[in-house]
Amino acid sequence: MAITGRAVFLAFVGVLLVFLAAPAGTWVLWAVLGALAALLLTDLALAANSRRVRLEAGGATSVRLGEDAAVFLIVANPDKRTLRATVRDAWAPSAVAGPRVHDLVVPAGERRRVETTLTPVRRGDQHRAHVTVRSYGPLGLAARQSTHAVPWSVRALPPFHSRRHLPGKLSKLRELDGQHRAMIRGQGSEFDSLREYVPGDDVRSIDWRATARRETVVVRTWRPERDRRLLVVLDTGRTSAGRVGDTPRLDHAMDAGLLLTALAGKAGDRVELLAYDRRVRAQVRSQGRGSTLQAIVRAMTPLEPELVESDSAGLVATILGRQSRTRQLVVLLTDLNAAAMEEGLLPRLSALTARHMVLVAAVGDPKVAEMAAQRGDAQSVYGAAAAQKTLAERRRITAELRRHGVEVVDAGPEEIAPALADAYISLKAQGRL
Amino acid sequence: MSTDTTGAAQSPPTDPPAGSSAVSVGVAGVWRRVRGPLAFLVGASVLGVLVSLNAVPSPIGDLDPEGANPDGSRALVQILRDDFDVPVTIARDTDEAVAAAGADSVLVLVKSHRLTAGELDRLAGLPGDRLLVQPTTQAIKALAPGVEVTGRGDDRDVLSPECTLEAARTAGDARTGGELYSGASTACYPAEGGSALVRTDSGDATVTILGSGDPMRNRFLAYEGNAALMINLLAGDGVVWFLPDVPSTGGASDPVDLLHPGFLPGAGMLLAALLLLALWRGRRLGPLVAERLPVVVRASETTEGRARLYTARRARPNAAEALRSGALSSVRPRLGLGTETAPEAVVEAVSQRSPRDPEQIRALLYGGPSDPYTADDTALVRLADELDALDREVRE
Repeated sequence: MAITGRAVFLAFVGVLLVFLAAPAGTWVLWAVLGALAALLLTDLALAANSRRVRLEAGGATSVRLGEDAAVFLIVANPDKRTLRATVRDAWAPSAVAGPRVHDLVVPAGERRRVETTLTPVRRGDQHRAHVTVRSYGPLGLAARQSTHAVPWSVRALPPFHSRRHLPGKLSKLRELDGQHRAMIRGQGSEFDSLREYVPGDDVRSIDWRATARRETVVVRTWRPERDRRLLVVLDTGRTSAGRVGDTPRLDHAMDAGLLLTALAGKAGDRVELLAYDRRVRAQVRSQGRGSTLQAIVRAMTPLEPELVESDSAGLVATILGRQSRTRQLVVLLTDLNAAAMEEGLLPRLSALTARHMVLVAAVGDPKVAEMAAQRGDAQSVYGAAAAQKTLAERRRITAELRRHGVEVVDAGPEEIAPALADAYISLKAQGRL
Repeated sequence: MSTDTTGAAQSPPTDPPAGSSAVSVGVAGVWRRVRGPLAFLVGASVLGVLVSLNAVPSPIGDLDPEGANPDGSRALVQILRDDFDVPVTIARDTDEAVAAAGADSVLVLVKSHRLTAGELDRLAGLPGDRLLVQPTTQAIKALAPGVEVTGRGDDRDVLSPECTLEAARTAGDARTGGELYSGASTACYPAEGGSALVRTDSGDATVTILGSGDPMRNRFLAYEGNAALMINLLAGDGVVWFLPDVPSTGGASDPVDLLHPGFLPGAGMLLAALLLLALWRGRRLGPLVAERLPVVVRASETTEGRARLYTARRARPNAAEALRSGALSSVRPRLGLGTETAPEAVVEAVSQRSPRDPEQIRALLYGGPSDPYTADDTALVRLADELDALDREVRE
């Protein structure tokens, strides 16, 4: 139960009354107290039963981070009395649910709908904690209150900020297509079809044999290879927890991975996902044709960095142990951390590169570059030296990886997604997939 | 789950299902939870009331004839009643004392300072013997004229009778040290300045004055000749033990009476109102929602840590090496040189673009046995600036 400000006001009026009427005898105090208690109990007894209220949930089940999602509650009043209630739809603070409480009146046997807007500020699943109904009596003095479990969850999907780069990269991809094949012709292109020669076509692409069979000159057209396999690997170990700007490395990696997935999906390649630290955190396999983008977005959403050292041996074994025996492009989204790389991935890299094409993408921290450029007093210069040391180690690891035949993309948080897309397009153009 | 509930939302309202969605404790739940402790409390209270029902609180006070406390005199009264069959009447105000006193009884007066002059005069008119314990001078004047307080001994003194009074002589030493008197016909337990026990005869009755209450107190009764002395003095046909109550303050007004009549009931009501206020503000609309928060680690933390370490240890050689390798990695690609290029080749290539002296460039980029740039912090700052300048020269 609960009482209202009105009841408190009444009690203070009672204080005045008792003070003034006290000479009549002490019974005044007991009379006023009794009257107040009687009013409160009557009001409580007349309030609709908050436990019997039926609540049903509904609304959005997913939302892109930064956007609004509306969820609703249907409050049904099976009681014989009118329900005058304050309903609190309780979500975790990071769900940013509003309004916090709803005031509503539900006549006997009827139902009302209340809507809560969520604007999650954190990626992942947001669960409704509970719904509390406070049902006031007709006098508005006392209320019955109970808390209900009305499960509902809204999945806050990664924001996919790099979506804006998609049209540009797609048009770049189309340049590889048959019509524009003039630029590139080689391993990376496969035969598409024959068509009549039009002035301007590269004479080298004339198919003389076909021309001989017909009366017109025929040229071959080309298109980039299709149905290649990509495996996006997210490292969810401790290095992914580090914040670059205000966002963890993992989220930058996801953003880049999503752009790559969207792009590769349009290019006709099949993308799979693996998230790994000491065990598999998420996995998406490509089932036949069709884009896996939605499945990958869903799989990525609940991932959180784990504060453990990633197990590179296990990661390599997992990648090699997957059913697909065909060659694929393994895009490893991790950090170029010297200690972790030298002890973990580098010794095991040759096993991976022997079977697959490997691309390592890492988010560089602009803060370190900023530190490297600072000058002035001794402290700044020591900071610059420390930053240079970090950068030198990154360069060394990059060189080491390239020596193993691994492509490396090392870019800042803003550039990592387009840089990775560019690397993919250039690999595709060169036919190295 | 989602489709289920939305589907149900479109169906007409029905009676609530057997299992309510409520997770908070209802009235029945609260009752179930509190009834155990409540039963215990009620049981304990009932037991307490039952136990205390027959108990009469015994008065506690100095020289109180019913007091079982160390300073009370209940033991003496009990001995007189049970062992010597002396009827002991207890009087707590003058009226009772006057009514009980008879010609053959001994009136024991303690705490005479609680009596007014008028009451003392009424006592003076009573028949029978008297035993005054540490009386005030006013009481002496009224009841035993002629006796004077002439000294004060140590309360802890045990004195010898040294007199002919039968009661004292047979009792022997007693803890009678206290006020000392003189001017009476019989004087016992002498000390410096007077005697602790004196007796005067006024007509048919005797008045005995005892300078200390110790011999009659429960705590000392068993020692020396205390008990014997008191029994000798009191064992007779009857004792009226007069312990005057503390006189009431009479005309002085009670501070409560000065308050407005509505104050106390008003305060009671205010308490109730404040309780309601606390309930109103304190009742939350449902429990708090906890959330698992992510760790916040800056990615640049290790780099910053290393910078602080360099600063703390003044690690100039390490810092200079890091700065130089940074500069080299920026200069080499611009000159078309690889990472394995020998220092000489790099210095030569740089000197073609820079107006600086090759020796100076070498010292700047590679240091040497006596590195001028690691002498102190200022030199290190200069190294950083000059490396920047060199980088610009190569770029242009």
